[in-house]
Amino acid sequence: MKRAALTPWLFLAPALIATCLLVLGPVLETLWLSLHDVVLFRPQVRPFVGLANYVTALHDHTFWDGLGRSFVWVGAAVGLQFALGLTAALLLNRQFWWRPVARALVVIPWALPSVIIGLVWTWMLDFNLGIINQVGVDLGLLSGPVPWLAQPSTAMAAVILAITWQGFPFFCVTLLAGLQAIPREHYEAAAIDGAGAVRSFRYVTLPGLMPVMSTALLLRMIWVANSLDLLLVMTGGGPGTSTETLPLYAFLTAWSGANYGYGSALAVLLTLLLLAVVIFYAVRSGK
Amino acid sequence: MKRRTLLTGAAALGVVAPLARPHAATPVKVRWWYHFDDPTASPAGLVQAFEKAHPGIKIEAEGIPWGGGSDYDTRLYTAIIAGNAPDTAMVKFQNQPRLMEMQALVPLDKWISAWAGKSDISDDLWRLTRAPDGKMYYLPLQYVVLYLYVRQDWFAKKNLPLPTNFENFLSGAEATTGDGHWGFGMRGGPGGHDHWGSLVLGNGAKLEKGGLITPKALAANRWFIDLYRVHHVFPPSAPNDGFVQTIANMKAGRTAMTIHHIGSANEMVKALGDAITAVPVPRGADGKGWTDFGDGSNAIFAQSKNQEAAWEWLAYLSSGEANVIFNKLSGQVTVTKSGGAHWDAEPKRFLDATVESLPLAHVLPPTPQTADFTRTVWPQTTQKALLGQVSPDDMMRTFEKLFYGD
Repeated sequence: MKRAALTPWLFLAPALIATCLLVLGPVLETLWLSLHDVVLFRPQVRPFVGLANYVTALHDHTFWDGLGRSFVWVGAAVGLQFALGLTAALLLNRQFWWRPVARALVVIPWALPSVIIGLVWTWMLDFNLGIINQVGVDLGLLSGPVPWLAQPSTAMAAVILAITWQGFPFFCVTLLAGLQAIPREHYEAAAIDGAGAVRSFRYVTLPGLMPVMSTALLLRMIWVANSLDLLLVMTGGGPGTSTETLPLYAFLTAWSGANYGYGSALAVLLTLLLLAVVIFYAVRSGK
Repeated sequence: MKRRTLLTGAAALGVVAPLARPHAATPVKVRWWYHFDDPTASPAGLVQAFEKAHPGIKIEAEGIPWGGGSDYDTRLYTAIIAGNAPDTAMVKFQNQPRLMEMQALVPLDKWISAWAGKSDISDDLWRLTRAPDGKMYYLPLQYVVLYLYVRQDWFAKKNLPLPTNFENFLSGAEATTGDGHWGFGMRGGPGGHDHWGSLVLGNGAKLEKGGLITPKALAANRWFIDLYRVHHVFPPSAPNDGFVQTIANMKAGRTAMTIHHIGSANEMVKALGDAITAVPVPRGADGKGWTDFGDGSNAIFAQSKNQEAAWEWLAYLSSGEANVIFNKLSGQVTVTKSGGAHWDAEPKRFLDATVESLPLAHVLPPTPQTADFTRTVWPQTTQKALLGQVSPDDMMRTFEKLFYGD
């Protein structure tokens, strides 16, 4: 009996050990750093400061501004990715002769490294030499070139456009798998009951997709909330601080500012905020 | 039995033989970190030549991404803290205070004073590289002085003199702005403090306590911000433009002037031919000006167990022909007098502009705040001022507070 109880733990042991080393260790290290005044170029002096870094963060207007921008960033980016991904999935679920090619092409943005995507979009949006301005002006859509990444009113939208392009294939592929799992008989039954395309989508497709959809949305929300690579490459948080989200602020504080203590506290606060989403996801997936 | 004895003897000999080799047969390994603007450039030829001349030393050259400086610096700091620092690395003056605070550097004075190559490096470079405590931690390796690139064909067409002071800089910029062209390609992203320094520190502001908030300094900064907000001589994308954008705009014929150094001269000439030239940055009414001295040196780290061998490598890199080869790879200028005498890596007019700019050359204050200024505080605050989110005067007060407190 005792041995039987031990067996599952033995099987789980490799994964548990790896998780402890690769996840729990860095998390504990970050927590420890956040309670100290750790400046990278002063390795001999690392005084314990308790919760002082957290108190500073709560009185730091850059923290609150960054948090506000993070909500905009996550809401807009995930919302647009989802809308585009769902549309693409519905189209790719239809029969047409080059569907296999289309399915392969749609995955390309997802397969590209973020830094490459950031550089490509930076040049496409470039004021002087970018193709978006050139085409926009040639077609009469723009009265003149627009410095998309250099003005606060457009910089965030421009980076959201880039991450939408990068992230929509995730929703597309996931939702396409969900669509194909919906039994054809449900649609046939709906059609017999007189449901048109819209009602069939509302009463058959959406409920059938719901489990996949909510899982995909939760996962993507966490990823986008943590991501900073595109922002770093395309604007560096600027102009000014107009695209500086909370993770980017934490990164710049730790990496560029060499202040690992405060940067860690910012990262822990972000983690606590995301924990709510994680708990919701864990409870939901446990059902 | 005999056979057994023979085998035992052979085995024993096999174990003992490596121990009996002379010590010099195992080369001393020196790890060296470097960075070049051109990632395809490789110092392999220099390493090979050095190892041939010094069979007892093996160089392990590791190219580290520069990332605007912050990537390289942070990797270096973390490697030092982790006890995994290279024996020696390329370093810049602005990170010296932090490295000194970490007690990571070894003074090079004893080696430099006994080094035959010492007199081949100018006294100016030794002076600029000396640490605030009077010791030498850095061995000069390369240098550049920032100058002003000018489209001389556009200026000639408008019958304008090449800029020498802030008045004819502005009039030239205004005259060449329009019809999709801009007078000056301003770098508003990280690294753009070089441009700001020439246009504000050269026009009355000073990097000393109170020197950034004098009436003259504030007026100089207002003039700088007005170049964008009032005179519109920068491209509208200036607040976010980095090095790549400013150089690309110049090469594409979008801007009439920008500030950079001889490292980009060849690509400028390839794109624009004789239409482009270089002159020193504008001078103020007092005849003074300010341009950035872009230093590049090597340092040896206190953690190194092979400091003598590391010094041999550094001395080689900063000597005569090896230094010329190194700087042709790095796109900068040789630090040796002998190498400078036959320098032909770029057209002569760009070397002339570099040498003529030397009297205006300065470095940012050697304080721990400097790296934070260049990486984060300068770009964020300047972008806000260019966009009208903070006033030019508040921008200067932010810098004053960072460097010198309230």
